[in-house]
Amino acid sequence: MPKIGVYVCHCGLNIAGVVDVENVTEYAKSLPDVAIARSYIYMCSEPGQRMIQEDIKTHNLDRIVIATCSPRMHEETFRKTVTEAGLNPYLLEIVNLREHVSWAHSDNPKKATEKAKALVRMGVARARLLEPLEKRKVSVKKNVLVVGGGIAGIQASLDLANAGFKVFLVEKAPSIGGRMAQLDKTFPTLDCSACILTPKMVDVAKHSNVKLLTNSEVTEVKGFVGNYEVSIVKKPRYVDEKKCVGCELCTKVCPVKVPDEFNEGLSQTRAISIYSPYAVPKVATINPKHCLRLRFNKNVCGKCVEACTAKAIKFKQQPKTIRVKVGGIIIAVGSEVFNASKMSEFGYGRYKNVISNIEFERILNASGPTGGKILSTRNGESPKTVVFVQCVGSRDKRFHEYCCRVGCMATLKQAILVREKLGEDVKIYVCFNDMRAFGKGYDEFYRRARDLDVNFVAGLPSDIRSDVHGALYFDVYDRGTNKLLEIRPDLVVLANGLVPNAGIEKIGVLFHVSRSADGFLLEAHPKLRPLESVMAGIFLAGACQGPKDIPDTVAQASGAAAKVIDLLASGEIELEPLKAVVDEDLCSGCRLCESVCPFLAIEMKSENVEGAERLRAEVVEAMCQGCGLCVSACPTKAIKMCHYTDGQVLAQVQAGCLESGARGGS
Amino acid sequence: MSLTDLMSMAKPNMESREKILSKLGGGELVNCFQCLKCTSGCTALKLLELKPHEIVKLVNLGFVDELALSDIIWTCVTCLKCVQRCPQKASPYHVIMALRNLAVEREARVPEGYLKAVSRILEIGLAEAIQEVVTRRMEIFNRESLKLPKIVYPKESFQAAFMKILEEK
Amino acid sequence: MKVAVFWGCRILTNQYAYEMSVREVFPRFDAELVDLSETNCCGDPVKSVNDLAANYLAARVLALANKTGLQDLLLPCNRCHFVISEAKNVLEKNEGVGGKIVGLLREEGLEYNPSVKVWHVIDFLHDVVGLKNVKEAVQKPLKGLKLATHVGCQIIRYSDLGRVDDAENPRRLDELVGVLGAESVDYAEKLDCCGANLMQSHPDSALSLAGTKLNAVQNLGVDGLVVSCPDCGLMFDFKQKDAGTTVGAKLNVPVVYYTQLLGLALNIEKEKLGLHLNQTPVDQLLMKILP
Repeated sequence: MPKIGVYVCHCGLNIAGVVDVENVTEYAKSLPDVAIARSYIYMCSEPGQRMIQEDIKTHNLDRIVIATCSPRMHEETFRKTVTEAGLNPYLLEIVNLREHVSWAHSDNPKKATEKAKALVRMGVARARLLEPLEKRKVSVKKNVLVVGGGIAGIQASLDLANAGFKVFLVEKAPSIGGRMAQLDKTFPTLDCSACILTPKMVDVAKHSNVKLLTNSEVTEVKGFVGNYEVSIVKKPRYVDEKKCVGCELCTKVCPVKVPDEFNEGLSQTRAISIYSPYAVPKVATINPKHCLRLRFNKNVCGKCVEACTAKAIKFKQQPKTIRVKVGGIIIAVGSEVFNASKMSEFGYGRYKNVISNIEFERILNASGPTGGKILSTRNGESPKTVVFVQCVGSRDKRFHEYCCRVGCMATLKQAILVREKLGEDVKIYVCFNDMRAFGKGYDEFYRRARDLDVNFVAGLPSDIRSDVHGALYFDVYDRGTNKLLEIRPDLVVLANGLVPNAGIEKIGVLFHVSRSADGFLLEAHPKLRPLESVMAGIFLAGACQGPKDIPDTVAQASGAAAKVIDLLASGEIELEPLKAVVDEDLCSGCRLCESVCPFLAIEMKSENVEGAERLRAEVVEAMCQGCGLCVSACPTKAIKMCHYTDGQVLAQVQAGCLESGARGGS
Repeated sequence: MSLTDLMSMAKPNMESREKILSKLGGGELVNCFQCLKCTSGCTALKLLELKPHEIVKLVNLGFVDELALSDIIWTCVTCLKCVQRCPQKASPYHVIMALRNLAVEREARVPEGYLKAVSRILEIGLAEAIQEVVTRRMEIFNRESLKLPKIVYPKESFQAAFMKILEEK
Repeated sequence: MKVAVFWGCRILTNQYAYEMSVREVFPRFDAELVDLSETNCCGDPVKSVNDLAANYLAARVLALANKTGLQDLLLPCNRCHFVISEAKNVLEKNEGVGGKIVGLLREEGLEYNPSVKVWHVIDFLHDVVGLKNVKEAVQKPLKGLKLATHVGCQIIRYSDLGRVDDAENPRRLDELVGVLGAESVDYAEKLDCCGANLMQSHPDSALSLAGTKLNAVQNLGVDGLVVSCPDCGLMFDFKQKDAGTTVGAKLNVPVVYYTQLLGLALNIEKEKLGLHLNQTPVDQLLMKILP
């Protein structure tokens, strides 16, 4: 016979202001198996908790029902309360009288009280059937996989490595650095991007706790939180990393010209080259799609071999697969820039002097294709009029509905740099819808641009045209002056938004991480859990979760690292016992549960039963999130959900359907 | 009503706004965020001062009655550039068409060409009258002399149906 | 194949050259045109007066097409094509409106059929007949001819309705010109409107729009302007003189319908193509291609 204690909380006036808590408490006393029922003004307070603990000892209570606010608020608190009093924490039932009663039905106190009584009756019905459960501990690996070597991946790796964790940092490109390495200056401080990034790049490459795998990609992820098994393919560079000294003699003699990816195709590099001026590692890579010898599989050319004094060229290099075991994963694969040729009305791709913001960033950079000079391609002189057009591909139901978050600030930065480079004579216009300068120092930066005579036209152009001589012109209506302005720019920079990577779908599938409607990777909760993916043990950092600037990226990266440290530091993790459990005798091996499980938490184990091979389902506890889909799918009722058994739920349903005057049987 | 336009002392008329919203044959008027793309590219702006963004905003705030009586709503060329390029699918063209319908309903000033077209359709099914063409060599041609098929006009059943739907509320 | 054809109002009442040239060239591609009878206006001018009535008129045209038993309806006029396409969309999405209109049509013994497919001259020739077949049928390549195309507004906008060509970079008409052996020249004002819709209420503005565009085309130094809509034809061809006066320019741009050009390439006599009806100096253009 269970001995149940029922505790009804006033929650100040939050509950008691609508529900007649004394009435409910009296009613609870009358229910079978309820040994004691009390009410108190704040059950979660110290005296409230002590009251429960003393009752457990005095009255030998073995089940507790607390009628209070949402379990999301204090279930953990009360679980600790009863544990301290010697009771198993899963013998506790929380009944929600606040969100489900007083807040929802504040206009009808009488009916609210009846509902409260019914809910308490249901809670008691469940409490009778609760069973003690134990959290299970699983040992975890203190290694971490960081996917993506941009600033997010670099920052997270450094934080983890400094905390004593071993990090595998995997980067697809031949060098780490990502998007930030391409930038000239950063807003709002106008710090030189490379200057603040390269020390971190070197630190992470040199760190004894970091294994840097560039030119590599993750190909397979198996396992569960704390115990992931990851396969990584190191693509061949055709250059021995240990021998190459980064002298670039090979690049000078290579006859094959290739568009330079780092310079957004604005200049050309060679089939063998070092990825960027600040490449880490500073090792050459051969592009097999363009190298004559690799493309045609013939013993041709070989000029690089002749030139290389370190004898580092290795045409026979093969891809290498590495398998690692890690406890946690941080995905930091970044984002791409919108391809504005999709908005043909602006002429990107058709007119040479309509360029994208990222292309302009390379032009502004001293190590870029023009050595930092801004030149109009029409006449080779510097432009006299530069126009920035905002929101290209963003806030647009035809392309991407979201705001790209960085477009306004990046344009302000570029506009200020144009003024600095070209002096007073150049006219600078920014055509905008809204100017979003939301961060620390951002609006001050906006003012700085205005101080420098950057003109802000409050309106977006409908299209951009080129006359017979190739000169650009367009009309734009300005809200401020109510005038239709014709602008004849020498250079138009489109503030293209940030969009999910082309490969984001593959990443999602590889790591079993969902994506939100905008295509970026989905966080577990947009406000309260922005660093975690929906998969336990896999975290998100940087622009792959949503477009963001460098300060937010670094913050998120360090946050994700902290989450991983939190997860793995003790060497083991506790798993909530709210899991599905298979009764092997009832399992027919039909695999329905496996097919409906969204978390890959069911494995089929084959065993030999009386000479025949039989499949039985087995729940991988670490992956199971307790969603219950398998329980309802199982045709033989072989799976039960711990702490939410059919019996417990049905008892609640039965109790709920009884008249409020009735007492509710067992 | 909490809002007043101090220039004209007009107050918004939410009923009229509702009428426009229900007439709208397309577009999400309420989503307009005044980016001005429509007006920047409006074919009728330079010559006739048509500002689609302004019309959408006025309707959204409820200042519909004055617009329905105005001439500006009859200046749209129906080039559809504003529908094509609006990032929020607010479609000023559809708003203008709804305003025109409202103007006709309220018997405001309507360019007579439209009303003539309607009466001609009632009469002969076509919106235009058959013309003779004078060539650049001063010869005159019509359908018959060009051996084009004779036009057969629709019968009374069409006229009755068209009248019926015109009078439908 | 048999194709139902609905000419609208403008072609039937004054743009005869377009009708003549379409009637001449389509049979050359095994497309037999079946005229609808007792037709009504597609509803274009009525859209400004009563949207419901306009949709009814458009639906009636589709019902008349359905009466012929044919599933394809050719609409050589841009405005008919837009109005009828929008009506199809409205009837599909709005049950209330659809119900009223379908019911009213039934009273006349007409049945609305949403699966009647609408075509314009451009996409019919480009996609159904196919560029290859058009090219193969050419007997007199129009070599050396440099032309500007004007595809118009209402068959390329708005994309969500599914239009005849891309709204920002329409290429079909240019390609159709190209397979005839002529060259189509790109220009900044290509997507600008002819202004026809303003003729009845603001004629000066309408002519100004047409004149501005014609002036730009003239400055390209091309041999002519190709159109495929009777409204555009009216503005650029019939009203070129007035347009020139309005913008203060001496305009001298030969304007032809695409089907007239196609007819020439197919070696059809110019009278049959209505080339004597064009008001602009098309003789200039003809001199370049005829011996």
